[in-house]
Amino acid sequence: MQRQVALIKQSLFDQGYLDEQFMELEELQDDANPNFVEEVSALYFKDSARLINNIDQALERGTFDFNRLDSYMHQFKGSSTSIGASKVKAECTTFREYCRAGNAEGCLRTFQQLKKEHSTLRKKLEHYFQLARQAGPKETARRPK
Amino acid sequence: MTMEQEIEVLDQFPVGMRVLAVDDDQTCLRILQTLLQRCQYHVTTTNQAQTALELLRENKNKFDLVISDVDMPDMDGFKLLELVGLEMDLPVIMLSAHSDPKYVMKGVKHGACDYLLKPVRIEELKNIWQHVVRKSKLKKNKSNVSNGSGNCDKANRKRKEQYEEEEEEERGNDNDDPTAQKKPRVLWTHELHNKFLAAVDHLGVERAVPKKILDLMNVDKLTRENVASHLQKFRVALKKVSDDAIQQANRAAIDSHFMQMNSQKGLGGFYHHHRGIPVGSGQFHGGTTMMRHYSSNRNLGRLNSLGAGMFQPVSSSFPRNHNDGGNIIQGLPLEELQINNNINRAFPSFTSQQNSPMVAPSNLLLLEGNPQSSSLPSNPGFSPHFEISKRLEHWSNAALSTNIPQSDVHSKPDTLEWNAFCDSASPLVNPNLDTNPASLCRNTGFGSTNAAQTDFFYPLQMNQQPANNSGPVTEAQLFRSSNPNEGLLMGQQKLQSGLMASDAGSLDDRVNSLMTQEQSQSDFSEGDWDLDGLAHSEHAYEKLHFPFSLSA
Repeated sequence: MQRQVALIKQSLFDQGYLDEQFMELEELQDDANPNFVEEVSALYFKDSARLINNIDQALERGTFDFNRLDSYMHQFKGSSTSIGASKVKAECTTFREYCRAGNAEGCLRTFQQLKKEHSTLRKKLEHYFQLARQAGPKETARRPK
Repeated sequence: MTMEQEIEVLDQFPVGMRVLAVDDDQTCLRILQTLLQRCQYHVTTTNQAQTALELLRENKNKFDLVISDVDMPDMDGFKLLELVGLEMDLPVIMLSAHSDPKYVMKGVKHGACDYLLKPVRIEELKNIWQHVVRKSKLKKNKSNVSNGSGNCDKANRKRKEQYEEEEEEERGNDNDDPTAQKKPRVLWTHELHNKFLAAVDHLGVERAVPKKILDLMNVDKLTRENVASHLQKFRVALKKVSDDAIQQANRAAIDSHFMQMNSQKGLGGFYHHHRGIPVGSGQFHGGTTMMRHYSSNRNLGRLNSLGAGMFQPVSSSFPRNHNDGGNIIQGLPLEELQINNNINRAFPSFTSQQNSPMVAPSNLLLLEGNPQSSSLPSNPGFSPHFEISKRLEHWSNAALSTNIPQSDVHSKPDTLEWNAFCDSASPLVNPNLDTNPASLCRNTGFGSTNAAQTDFFYPLQMNQQPANNSGPVTEAQLFRSSNPNEGLLMGQQKLQSGLMASDAGSLDDRVNSLMTQEQSQSDFSEGDWDLDGLAHSEHAYEKLHFPFSLSA
């Protein structure tokens, strides 16, 4: 079971869903914060869901206030970076570039992609945490460097 | 976080350091909190800048450090930074995902102690406590300063480090009651003065207005009024310096002359600071430095031609930013020399600020800024120094050939004056000098025109001016007449030494720059001390009134 968990995690890294930052978070997990990583992930997804909603609404309005979109995205990117969600982060960067270029279509397209990545990650992480909980503590396997 | 842990470590700074973390992003905040706790800090978090402010206002002493995100919906992080800095004077660290240097610059400008990029690493957070220590140290210094008690000495001492210890001590002693007179005034420590000088330097003498200086200095709790009064003193000092420079130069020349004869130490040492030129607040360094150089210069004797050979090295050795004094000669040196001279003259009574008559000038100059630091080199004005030194050389030569400009001083009265002056001015004055007091004194009198001279010759003048120089003119005159060459020589030497020595702190530099300005304008014709030129050049700074113009 633990090995399974480890493998899942490993694959997340390998596939680029997560990066070193996630590992840093894991390192912060200890007896004092036994579920730290999971908690942070939960926070992240909660926050980001809210952000996604906001952006969705802004885009649907069709007004394309790039400044505002950019600032949403900046926030999104910030939290994604903190948690180590690298694919999501990459999409954020792309989105911002389109914003700066004033490319509405590019923004829309990217945003779709971003949502997709985001939900994929979410699922994977939820699955991972679930398994991890089942497997018991201390199975924070390290990604071999 | 484990309370027990915290309690245990409360006394082991940085462990237990109380941090207030502000970030609207919950994810980041949570991570930050954990990271900080991992560093064993005591963490309080809020995702609202407004709440943070309230918490801080509630009790300033509740926190040691604030970490704040830049992009927050309810208040701009920079604004929060500013407010915290102003109201609570706590160190604030900015946090952001923006790595754009513009933001970092903005952070710095608003007073941030540091700027971290997200995602924050724990390693970075482990060192943030240094900002707390640093800030509290600064605060302590500042408060010491404003108490004005003996900090001068300390500050001065520090400044003088580069210079002879002797001087420092002496100065320190002299600085004893700089602030006795005033109420809670700001004590211009070396550091502060240096900043002031840097600001003035940056702005340029002419455009140095208190408000701008204040902004550039960026010192907490310093008011425009403080700066204004300081600036005023500074200007007066500069003026004196230039006035004194002439005198100094004269004296220096004489001194050097004698010194050479004796042992080079003569005045040099005398001037240099060993005498402990009171330099009041240790600003004297500059002076001392100059003096030091002066002697050394003397030995070098670039201005050999002068005869005393004291100046020899002076001109040549002034690499623009020649150790402290080098540049001085070029342009400002005179001032420095003066300062030095003045200072060195041992104004025993010279208190840092007060400027005893003798010291006054130096004090003034130094005081504020710390001449010593080496502002000289940085002085743009120094470039002319070289030229000036060269000119001085010329001048010295010329002087020898009796090209003593102006003053019609008579040796007689000069002598008396000089003696009196010397006596009063500086015990340090070389007894040797006495032999030619007139010359020495007179030199000081040189008047503004003789830039080089003026610098020298007014060592004592800085503040007191009137008393001592019955007129710089007279002195100069005396000098001239009695020993023009010598005077010149001395002056030059002094100038040079002063220049050399001047490394002095910013004050010196400033003065020097002032002088430089003046000097650059002045035209040092060969052997001709063009004091007039010097006089004309004054700008924002006081004018060097050099009654006499040496230009022959």
